[in-house]
Amino acid sequence: MHETTYEPVFTGDRKKQLDQLLPRFPTKRAALLPALWMVQQARGWISDHAMAEVAEVLGLTPAYVKGVVTFYTMYHQHPVGKHFVQVCTTTPCNLCGAEGVVKAFLEHTGCKELGATSPDGKYTVIEVECLGACGFPTPVMIGDDFIENVTPEGVPELLRKYQ
Amino acid sequence: MHLGCPPANFQPMPSATINGRTITAPDGATILDAARGAGVEIPTLCWYPKLPIAGNCRICVVSVDGQAKLLPACATKITEDMRVTTESPEAVAARRGVLKMLLERYPADHLINGGRARPNNQFEDYVVRYGVQPTPVGQRLPLLRRGDERPGDPMISHDMTRCILCTRCVRACEDIQVVGVLDVGYRGEQAQIIVGADGDPDKAACTWCGECVRVCPTGAIFEVLPQQRFGEIPVTAEPVVQSVCPYCGVGCRIELHVEDDEVLRVTSPSIELDTPNQGSTCVKGRFGYDYVQHRDRLTAPLIRRGWVKRGTRWVWTGPNGADRRAGPWRSIEAEGHELKHPAPPRATGKRLRDLPLLDRVTMDIRERAATPPDWYQPFRQATWDEALELVAQEMSRVHAEHGPEAMAVFQSAKCTNEENYLLQRLIRARFGTNNVDHCTRLCHSTSVSAMQAALNTAAASGSMREVEEACDVIFIAGANTTETHPVFGASLKRAHKRGAFLIVADPRRIELARLADIHLQMQPGTDVALFNAMLHHILAQGLENREFIAQRTKSFDAVKQAVAPYPPERAEAITGVPAALIRQAAERYAKGPNTTTLWAMGLTQHLTGHDMVTSLLNLILATGMIGRWGAAMMPVRGQNNVQGASDMGAIPFVYPDYQSVSDPAMREKFARVWGVEPERMSLTPGLKVTEMTQEGSPIRALYIMGENPIISDPDIAHAEAWFRSIEFLAVQDLFLTETARYADVVLPGASFAEKTGTFVNTERRIQLAHQAIHPPGTARADWEIIVDLSNRLGLPTTFPSPEAVMEEIRQVAPAWAGVSYQRLKNLAGLQYPVPSDDHPGTAFLFDDRFPTPDGKATFHPAQYTDPAELPDQEYPFVMNTGRQLYHWHTGTMSRRSNGLDAREPTAIVEIHPDDAAELGITDGDLVRLTSRRNAVVISARVSDRVARRQIFVPFHFREAAANLLTSPVLEPHAKMPALKVCAVRIEPVAVGATV
Repeated sequence: MHETTYEPVFTGDRKKQLDQLLPRFPTKRAALLPALWMVQQARGWISDHAMAEVAEVLGLTPAYVKGVVTFYTMYHQHPVGKHFVQVCTTTPCNLCGAEGVVKAFLEHTGCKELGATSPDGKYTVIEVECLGACGFPTPVMIGDDFIENVTPEGVPELLRKYQ
Repeated sequence: MHLGCPPANFQPMPSATINGRTITAPDGATILDAARGAGVEIPTLCWYPKLPIAGNCRICVVSVDGQAKLLPACATKITEDMRVTTESPEAVAARRGVLKMLLERYPADHLINGGRARPNNQFEDYVVRYGVQPTPVGQRLPLLRRGDERPGDPMISHDMTRCILCTRCVRACEDIQVVGVLDVGYRGEQAQIIVGADGDPDKAACTWCGECVRVCPTGAIFEVLPQQRFGEIPVTAEPVVQSVCPYCGVGCRIELHVEDDEVLRVTSPSIELDTPNQGSTCVKGRFGYDYVQHRDRLTAPLIRRGWVKRGTRWVWTGPNGADRRAGPWRSIEAEGHELKHPAPPRATGKRLRDLPLLDRVTMDIRERAATPPDWYQPFRQATWDEALELVAQEMSRVHAEHGPEAMAVFQSAKCTNEENYLLQRLIRARFGTNNVDHCTRLCHSTSVSAMQAALNTAAASGSMREVEEACDVIFIAGANTTETHPVFGASLKRAHKRGAFLIVADPRRIELARLADIHLQMQPGTDVALFNAMLHHILAQGLENREFIAQRTKSFDAVKQAVAPYPPERAEAITGVPAALIRQAAERYAKGPNTTTLWAMGLTQHLTGHDMVTSLLNLILATGMIGRWGAAMMPVRGQNNVQGASDMGAIPFVYPDYQSVSDPAMREKFARVWGVEPERMSLTPGLKVTEMTQEGSPIRALYIMGENPIISDPDIAHAEAWFRSIEFLAVQDLFLTETARYADVVLPGASFAEKTGTFVNTERRIQLAHQAIHPPGTARADWEIIVDLSNRLGLPTTFPSPEAVMEEIRQVAPAWAGVSYQRLKNLAGLQYPVPSDDHPGTAFLFDDRFPTPDGKATFHPAQYTDPAELPDQEYPFVMNTGRQLYHWHTGTMSRRSNGLDAREPTAIVEIHPDDAAELGITDGDLVRLTSRRNAVVISARVSDRVARRQIFVPFHFREAAANLLTSPVLEPHAKMPALKVCAVRIEPVAVGATV
């Protein structure tokens, strides 16, 4: 996906942050994953332009960076909502009603379908494989927050904290 | 591993067997290497010679006794006692499984029920060989594969449904060309080949070299041109003829595929063979061959209307004076001043039909770059008899009336050695003058003068391959190798990747400068100060090679004194390069242990070009970085036969093989071989190209073979006027060039594909190129034209073939004594000196002595002086000229090549973003460049490759000729024009304004 105008990510403080990061890695190439995280934190997603910028900054090729971005599922290649909601729907949670939780999130956020962004740009909801909290179904991640024991009824209240 | 040439650590392994045969293999060889060495074929897909092993396709699996599982032959080292079976039932079953799996995503309906594999499709060959039945596409669940497809690309396109993800293209791009345009993106069943981050090869720094086309085993990545020209490609294998690329001095070996007396496509010999290019080509070599079949090719001789035969003599009946050579065209100067279309977008990423109509029209290069129809108007077609008769009559007349000094020839670095030999023989033996020269004058003439003074040599000391294999430090001064010699450039990048330290001295931030460990970005024309300062620091640190200086050189003290006034701080003030960086570069250079030094036009085309090369040679000699494998002195040659043309005596002061024309013994020798009285030949060195075309030169009749000086000479407006002023002008060329349009007679010659002959590359390698097709119409091979003309001029010349010419050359050129067509039939050619029939040729020179009388090299001091032109308030920018990746010199060939011209369709000037912002110029805007001589209107390209207050203008374009602006001031030793430095001013041109 393409942006029309592109502002570089690695300027000012973020450039400094990256420069501090680099000595912790044996090669610049090894810093690719954290550099991509920085882009995603700054922009919410990683555009083709941003991949090219990361390539330039780390001395890699744009194709190599895209190969890495597209290999991992946690890097967004499209814009996502301000709050990125990941609901665990793997077997144990599913048995305990995770599908109802997904449905509630889709309904209350206004996202029509999984992976789509709500019209107000606030939310994107996806299903995710095991979040590692099978004893506390249904676990959900909203942004970097980890929340256990979510029920369909609890969703509206939960969403009020993420405006 | 080089097959047939085992390395030194060759270890026989008598106890290993493949299919029951005892085999031997070098240490560390894989099962596949051993099998190939023994002539046993194991199928491979992802494996490719010299590429890193991927081991992902699993088609090369073989059975090994005692191993429970099948082993991949490409990735398993062969060991003692190993018993390998390549076609065991298990291995064959596994291979069928691999092929069946790959076929599930592959369009193979044509292979069902015994269909034939597509030509050159390794994968389909295996499918047929192993009898695997594809499922019809309609009956399968998985979809065909996808990937980036390069829509609208003028040269390379993809059909990714045929991709089997072997990743050869990815590795070839990354490891051979060191670019990395391609990679594998996505995962699982979505995995696919991607082009850069957004599918645009241009942004991914693609150089269109076609390495991916070459290595693709299924034709998923293919060349667009043959299909555009021929429609569906014939299924039968076409005849293949071995040739040599007609572009730069690397001298790549290429193969011409012939169909219907036309060149269908160009490929390169195997990566494993010993050729200068080791299987690679650049964009020009692989895709720039269609000019040979361009409709502009001259098919019959042309005679200027006005020449009429009365009785037995030709008489000029046309107008005299200024109109003598007039035509219905605008001069180069007038075209330069004219408003033109801004540069259209480069042809990639957009289909032509997606562009606005106006852009589409301006992008139709066949109309724009072709010879305008009215250029033919002053001429009529003639027979060869008429044309040659007229040339012979007029050259004899001018000779009789004005004497030998009125006669001259320009020879060609694009023609073969044999042709160049014949032409200088003609002018010297028949007309008794040494007025013979060629484009080396504008190329490496200052290198030759400096190298002759210091080492008495005129060629590179080493080989290209040693740079890649053996050197520790690469020092490149004024050479944009990745664009001007791309195949050599790629080998430099490979050397850098394997750990060689790269130092680049260049005013521009070219690709190599970006890669470099140290980039010395000096002000244009200040190289002497830089090199002297480096030597100053080397001496201060005691890093010079005292033993080498004492034993192999003389006059070192003079240079020691000469560099004393150049401490790095002073050099910093002159060059703008920080003193610390100069020190660092000097230390790395001197410490080597093996440092290779390369240079090209960035040093030579200056008023002080001779001094620049001299000061660089001082650096080489003081550190002893010459005469070892890995320590080479390499002036990188421009044209594919500029070395050969010089070797053949196409320069005014020497006979073939650099034997002085002033030496009566030499004159005696050549007169005897050429069958003339020695007294008829001149002992006086002739005029140089740049002297011939100056006002007041004595030249009255000029014969030009394959050169286009009106675009390549400095200060074109004056040059054009001079060419119009002479009495008789004959031009032998492929096209009606900017120069040929002023000729009295134009003789159609043959392109490289249409004749047999030899070329010499930048590392002194003599290579034989064979005729593949016939010249168009009645055009003739250039050597035939000269033989015919020589006979008509009364110089008996009876060579029946180029081979016969070579037999004479080896008699008179001691360094070529062992060269014969028989020996040149191998692909590697011969690197001269080849003093005898059994001599293997010389990979590198000067290991124990220099070719001087006492065997020693001589130091010559060089002092820094300012460039010929300095910027001032009125002309604040420094203009640099040079070449682009996609074009060749005056554009005669490359602009008539569809793919190349689509990439760089118009003249541009590169300007720094900050300067552009100051002047209110954005990318693509028209600007007017004005120098102290002339002006041109040209499109701006904003680029940080150039430094601030400097601009770069390629000289390929007639409509905005860079050489209208350049200065005709000549370097004093070699008469080289100072093309590289010229002060200009830049103004934006409002579209719609009159110029």
